[in-house]
Amino acid sequence: MKRAMISVLAALSVAMAGAQDFKAMLREIDSLGDFGGQDFTATYTIVSEKPGQKPETVQVRVYRRDERDQFVFLFLKPERQKGQGYLKVDDNVWFYDPESGEFAKSTIKESVQDSEARNSDLSRMSYADDYDIEKSSEGKLGAYDVWILELVSKDSEVSWQRVRLYVRKDKPLVLKEEDFSVSGRLMRTVSFPPSYISAGGKQIPSRILIVDEINTGEKSQLTLSDVAVGKLADDTFTEAFLKRAR
Amino acid sequence: MQTAMLAFRNLSRQKRRSFLLGGAIAFGIMIVTLIDGFAGAFVDNVSENFSNLLAGHVFVEGVEKSPKGRDLEIIRDDAALREAAEAAGIEAKYVSRRSGLQGSLKFAGRTATLAVQGVDFEAETFLAERLALASGSLDDLPRDGIVLPEPIADKLGVEIGDRLLVTTRTYSGQQNVGEFAVAAVIKDPGILGSVSAYAGRDYVNELLDLAPDEYQALSFYLPSLKGMDEAGDRLHAEVSSRLQAFERKAPGAEGGNPVLAMMRGEDEETWTGVKYRVTTLNDALAQVQQIVDVLDVASLVILLVLFLIIMVGITNTFRIIMYERIREIGTMRAVGMQRGQVRGLFLYEALFLALGGAVAGLAVASLVMLGVGLIDFGLDSPLFLILRNGHMSFRLDWARVAGKVAIVAFLTLAAAFFPARSAAKLDPAVALRTAV
Repeated sequence: MKRAMISVLAALSVAMAGAQDFKAMLREIDSLGDFGGQDFTATYTIVSEKPGQKPETVQVRVYRRDERDQFVFLFLKPERQKGQGYLKVDDNVWFYDPESGEFAKSTIKESVQDSEARNSDLSRMSYADDYDIEKSSEGKLGAYDVWILELVSKDSEVSWQRVRLYVRKDKPLVLKEEDFSVSGRLMRTVSFPPSYISAGGKQIPSRILIVDEINTGEKSQLTLSDVAVGKLADDTFTEAFLKRAR
Repeated sequence: MQTAMLAFRNLSRQKRRSFLLGGAIAFGIMIVTLIDGFAGAFVDNVSENFSNLLAGHVFVEGVEKSPKGRDLEIIRDDAALREAAEAAGIEAKYVSRRSGLQGSLKFAGRTATLAVQGVDFEAETFLAERLALASGSLDDLPRDGIVLPEPIADKLGVEIGDRLLVTTRTYSGQQNVGEFAVAAVIKDPGILGSVSAYAGRDYVNELLDLAPDEYQALSFYLPSLKGMDEAGDRLHAEVSSRLQAFERKAPGAEGGNPVLAMMRGEDEETWTGVKYRVTTLNDALAQVQQIVDVLDVASLVILLVLFLIIMVGITNTFRIIMYERIREIGTMRAVGMQRGQVRGLFLYEALFLALGGAVAGLAVASLVMLGVGLIDFGLDSPLFLILRNGHMSFRLDWARVAGKVAIVAFLTLAAAFFPARSAAKLDPAVALRTAV
């Protein structure tokens, strides 16, 4: 009898999971990080730890215009990198070095100054556009009931071919993301502790913890501050802005 | 002829003075000859060493635009390229098909970043002859075997058989992880140690997410360095007639690196499918030629500065000679020697000094080059790139040497001209009365 009950419950659970529109859930997750017609500004403080080394702090001011998929990252700290920045124009990402005054072609997949964070972590991304849902299941993460979604990239334009998302059942908020290599190995785990900042009517995680699963002991913590949502001057997303920003 | 004989005898009368003046000329010639010899071999040695490392003189790379406009390096099917090479008459000693990744190798908490060339060891048999093994073997290389340069192996603290983790990106930029087994360690190949790790192309392709028969660069190793640009032009013409190809000379290439100029141009372009880039070692090493041009100019400037100083010495010495021989000149003029012959006498002396000094300078330079060439700096020398098999080598362009000797002869004659003219103008009676 007990076994039959368990089977029924398991079947019910699978049926419920099947009924869930995960694609819509991904779109909802995406919408939380997409400020559409409004521009988004925030300061990310990234503290990186590596075994045997002093923690390093990088501070980046991020300017985003999601409507046109544009961004500017301006480095505020450390002093030696102050004034460096990234600019995304159309599909091209450029790295600016004030020492040389030159722009060099870069990619959204680059690490942010040797931290575990990548440019893509600071820019707008879309799970729904970039990934297909391969598998879904239910689970528990700490005190939270979660949906576990196995995503596989639609093309090779994104950093991670496979991503596993842990999404709260009560709200479409990601608690944890596991990123896998093309060969299927877990490369990093990104945790989003349930502490949020409200901006532009959306809830965004105030802290992100990224653990490098390949290099044991290497991790980065991203903390958001000075978040603002509103219209920025059009010339913010230009080379001239980075050149005069220092 | 008699004047020339007399001039020669005069030089041998004042052996010490002639030796010092000729020695100064010889020193100048020796310096510029050494610079010329070094510059002459510099391009050849750098090209030869690079051609060994890059496995070729003429290269074809395929570039595909991703849906989001990024350039992806890939050659999917090379049947048309092989046809083009045949039609272009490319007679290569070896043909290589390579893929390459930039990776971070990790072992026991230590990390090293380097480029790993994916090679077909069975096809690239010449590689075994070129790589100086420190340990391990290239025979029966495992599929995931890697051949590491010694400094990297030391940095990671690995030994043969150890397994390393490698994090890299696929050809389209996605993150990937794999493992290499250390199969062999090669002696430090100098400053290019960071680009000279080798692994089987099959496994490198797997890490790059390429199919086993795909690769990234097709290279032709020609029998000699000569004619590589012509071969590149012919191949480009044949590739262009069959496939999409980039222009050989990109706008803005002048004064810079033609390959980089070509790549900059590609960023602006859009196309579908694979488009091919045909380059040569000379294109890639354009800056090396610029170094040689600088050395050439430096050699000429040194020659001119040295000889301006030497000319002052020659002018003063010939003035002294004129006063020393003033009564002798008066006697010769009194017995019928013409003014022109007196002038000729001085100029012949200067010419013999110049030629004697030049010959001595060339002889000493040859000895120095021979001696330096015998020193074995080793294959792991930081000078590796400019050496030939661990030895410094020199190559002289004899037309250039003849030109420099002509310049020296001209300058020496110019320096001696004014004292010679003064000697020729002497009044025989006044000269005979002058007490020295």
